[in-house]
Amino acid sequence: MGDENTALSAADARHLLRRTGFGALPKEVDKILSKYPTRGAAADFLLSFKPANFRPGGKDIRERRVKWFKYMLKGKRGLQEKLVLFLHDHFATNDSTVGDDLQMANQNRLLRKSCKGDFKQLVKDINLDPAMMDFLDTVRNRKEQPNENYPRELVELFTCGVTDFHGNANYEQEDIVQIARAFTGWRLDDKDRAFLQESRHDFMDDFPERGPKVILTNTGGFGPAGRSFTTRGEGATEIEEVIDILFEHTDSDGRNTVARRMARRLLEYFAHGAYSTPSPTTIAAVDAVVTQSSFDSNWSLEALVRAILVSDAFYETATAAPNGPGTARSVKWPIDYAVTSMRLLGMKLKGRDARVDGGNRRRIVDHLEDMGQELFEPPSVFGWDWENAWITSRTVLSRATFARDLTVARGNGSTSFRPGKLIDMTLTSPDAIVDAVTDVLGVTDRISSTERTIFMDYLTDEGAEASIDLEDEDVVERKLAGLFAVVMQSPAYQLH
Amino acid sequence: MAISRRQFLGRSGATAGGLFGASLFGNPFTRHALGMTLGDRYIVSLFLDGGNDGLNTITPVDDGTSGSLRAGYETARHSGGGGLRLSPGTLLVPGGPSLVDPNSTTPLGFHPGLGGLANLYAQGKVAVVQGCGYPNPSLSHDTSSTIWEAADPTRSGLGTGWLGRHLAAHFGSSDIPAVAIRGSIPGEYRQTATSVLTASRVRYFDYPYDGRNGSDSGFRRNALMALADESLASGQLVQAQVGAANRSTLLAADSYPGLHDTYEDERPAFDQMYDDLGTGTARDLREIAKVIYGVESGVPNVDARYFELRNGGYDTHSDQGAGNPGSRHYDLHDEVGSALETFYADCADMGVADRICIFVWSEFSRRIEQNDTGTDHGSQGPMFVIGGAVNGGLYGNHPDIAESSLDNGNSVYSQDPANPYRSTDFRDVYGTLLKHWVNVSHATILSDILPLDAGDPDQWWTTEDFDLGFL
Repeated sequence: MGDENTALSAADARHLLRRTGFGALPKEVDKILSKYPTRGAAADFLLSFKPANFRPGGKDIRERRVKWFKYMLKGKRGLQEKLVLFLHDHFATNDSTVGDDLQMANQNRLLRKSCKGDFKQLVKDINLDPAMMDFLDTVRNRKEQPNENYPRELVELFTCGVTDFHGNANYEQEDIVQIARAFTGWRLDDKDRAFLQESRHDFMDDFPERGPKVILTNTGGFGPAGRSFTTRGEGATEIEEVIDILFEHTDSDGRNTVARRMARRLLEYFAHGAYSTPSPTTIAAVDAVVTQSSFDSNWSLEALVRAILVSDAFYETATAAPNGPGTARSVKWPIDYAVTSMRLLGMKLKGRDARVDGGNRRRIVDHLEDMGQELFEPPSVFGWDWENAWITSRTVLSRATFARDLTVARGNGSTSFRPGKLIDMTLTSPDAIVDAVTDVLGVTDRISSTERTIFMDYLTDEGAEASIDLEDEDVVERKLAGLFAVVMQSPAYQLH
Repeated sequence: MAISRRQFLGRSGATAGGLFGASLFGNPFTRHALGMTLGDRYIVSLFLDGGNDGLNTITPVDDGTSGSLRAGYETARHSGGGGLRLSPGTLLVPGGPSLVDPNSTTPLGFHPGLGGLANLYAQGKVAVVQGCGYPNPSLSHDTSSTIWEAADPTRSGLGTGWLGRHLAAHFGSSDIPAVAIRGSIPGEYRQTATSVLTASRVRYFDYPYDGRNGSDSGFRRNALMALADESLASGQLVQAQVGAANRSTLLAADSYPGLHDTYEDERPAFDQMYDDLGTGTARDLREIAKVIYGVESGVPNVDARYFELRNGGYDTHSDQGAGNPGSRHYDLHDEVGSALETFYADCADMGVADRICIFVWSEFSRRIEQNDTGTDHGSQGPMFVIGGAVNGGLYGNHPDIAESSLDNGNSVYSQDPANPYRSTDFRDVYGTLLKHWVNVSHATILSDILPLDAGDPDQWWTTEDFDLGFL
């Protein structure tokens, strides 16, 4: 059993950097080990960023996409970007529905500002976020016909979830109907500021047949009386009160529902493993990080993430043997695959178009779309499907094409593939070259001896060459670039 | 020591056998069906994405003097500017099986854009299944398409697709039983056990081995296949799944791109017919025809029998148009009807007409009452099942569309046996397909694919025979 004082091994440090950022560069690993050598110190360091109050700029959504990608590529605040990505998936909103790239960028700024702050406050802010108000029809919610779109997702996806850890329903349809009343009449003014248009708001006097504004009479631990969301009066305060109530919802065993659900989702995100089908072990891990962080009372995302990043649940997979049956592995998100690959290869993107310089010189955003992850464009309010859903025959080809294109990028400077900056080009031994390449790509401790032998066979033309001359331009073009590509195309590299 | 490709194959086979038992059929990575599935048949899912307006797909024809359906229709759909009403004279009433609603005895017709489908109907190749839906219909595209894909109207959170659950029981992760002509795995095929090939065009499904030096491609392929096999044998679930996806992708990349040239060379007349239609649906169906032709020709590693394609654009909140060529809904219908007619002719020419079954569905129908120029989200609507072995005709009842019967403008779903407008649970259509086409036993359907709902038999589906009669 470890805790925040547990010293980090090199493998732990690499694991921590991979999961909380985009790849583990050697200098980053060294910095962690020398200056922040314990779980707690390293977590505090990674969480020490000051939440930024900016939004990805650009004249359209494509430029904003590139801008956000470049924030990640810089890698200075990897954990911030990983948290913003998580929240983008959690509060999934897409530009093709919203149709307003500035609103999308402003939502991104909100997530960026809030990514280690008060989660309850963030949900209240999301209530009135212009992109979300448009995406889930709050701006079209009127008293004559209360719209259930946002209220349903608020409860089902953003806070409580459909069921608790024991399979009990967290809410009933009637709760959604009632919550929809709270959100009637909220509109945006011409400066995109939310306000309550009272003439469109459902007041109880107008609709006595709808009953009192009471929710959760059968679930949530509130007893048969449920909870009224008008104790502070009717009107603009109702939607805040709804959030306050939802954050007091408890599972059938008395644990706070929202705290548990968010802890589970963040554990899935950072630590991986089978948290989506709760077992006694996973429930214990979830409850432990909630207790340690007091997330169920302070709602601090920073405290919750820190608790996860010092937990055994997070580190238990760091040093497990490659390919062992017990080894939890997670499929890199396409964003992670692309950003990590470019960072490890020391490559940058230039220009507004941000094209990858090899192959057909395709835009980075087109590569990402093919791989299944367009920023600002999660497929639906459910966000992206994680883990093996990222891997289909089409995305296998798309990842392979991206890797190939990176390794054939030629030209000048940082948009091209420059192996001489990555490994010692005087090496001649196939063993040493394979180790150097897998070191650069961060998989040396993640591959089996068989996989290493396969890389060796590839490099030596299946044994035909005993020695590799990296000063020969043709060998570099054909085999060294090829070895980088094959490693990046291999199953092991798709995982972390 | 260098390891040859043959040694790799031998080694990975041995490892897999060691891990998963000696029998090939016990190996979850290659677990062929052995007559428990489609056999030599094919099944195609065609998804009308966005919510197709069923009322302007199969439409009451009567002149309003005797039939309540047409009267309700004319109340809900007006004529004139922005009106969606289809006049009786423009509706297509094909010969062949009767197209009279059994409950109301109102004659029905196909939308004038659906000429291709009406032609197939006249030949007895089309089953029209009316009123397909589920209780408490969701008006959300996402929620309702998930419900249809997972066959999960109680929204219990099944994470797999209904056909996916079937595939997972019969195929391993190195098999490619299914091909979707799109970029992502369709919801109805979702599962984690086997590979669904996703390709918008088979000709572009070649692996990007090498940008500059073709001479290295063979070494790269050998390495990548060996790596895939190693991951398959790793015993680590996620890594094995990624390995399986890599393996099936590499195999497909060997075989699938060539299907394009073969089809183009050997079936030029049909190739041209799809080109002449020039629509996305026609081109997507041609991709499926290329794969079927490959299967029939015995191309190695091409043995997909489950397919999916989609046509989008049905979310016609405005400017839906009535029955004139060039209007939005007309063009959508024309695209699908014409493409299906050509595809069916292609299948007949390939000798597979009696071995193919195409089912057409949408996540919901649209509001009975039109808005200014279009229709909002609605409840139940018609499905189509098409194929040479299909018992063509009309099944199920037309929904009750009388103004007084509507709930917020939508027809009301009901399973009450006493209700003359009794609806069709979409899972009865799935069940009939599974039982009579895919050859899944009744017990297995209930236990593994379409679990029964508890509760009110007048609301929730409780029929258990899966014999709607169209197969």
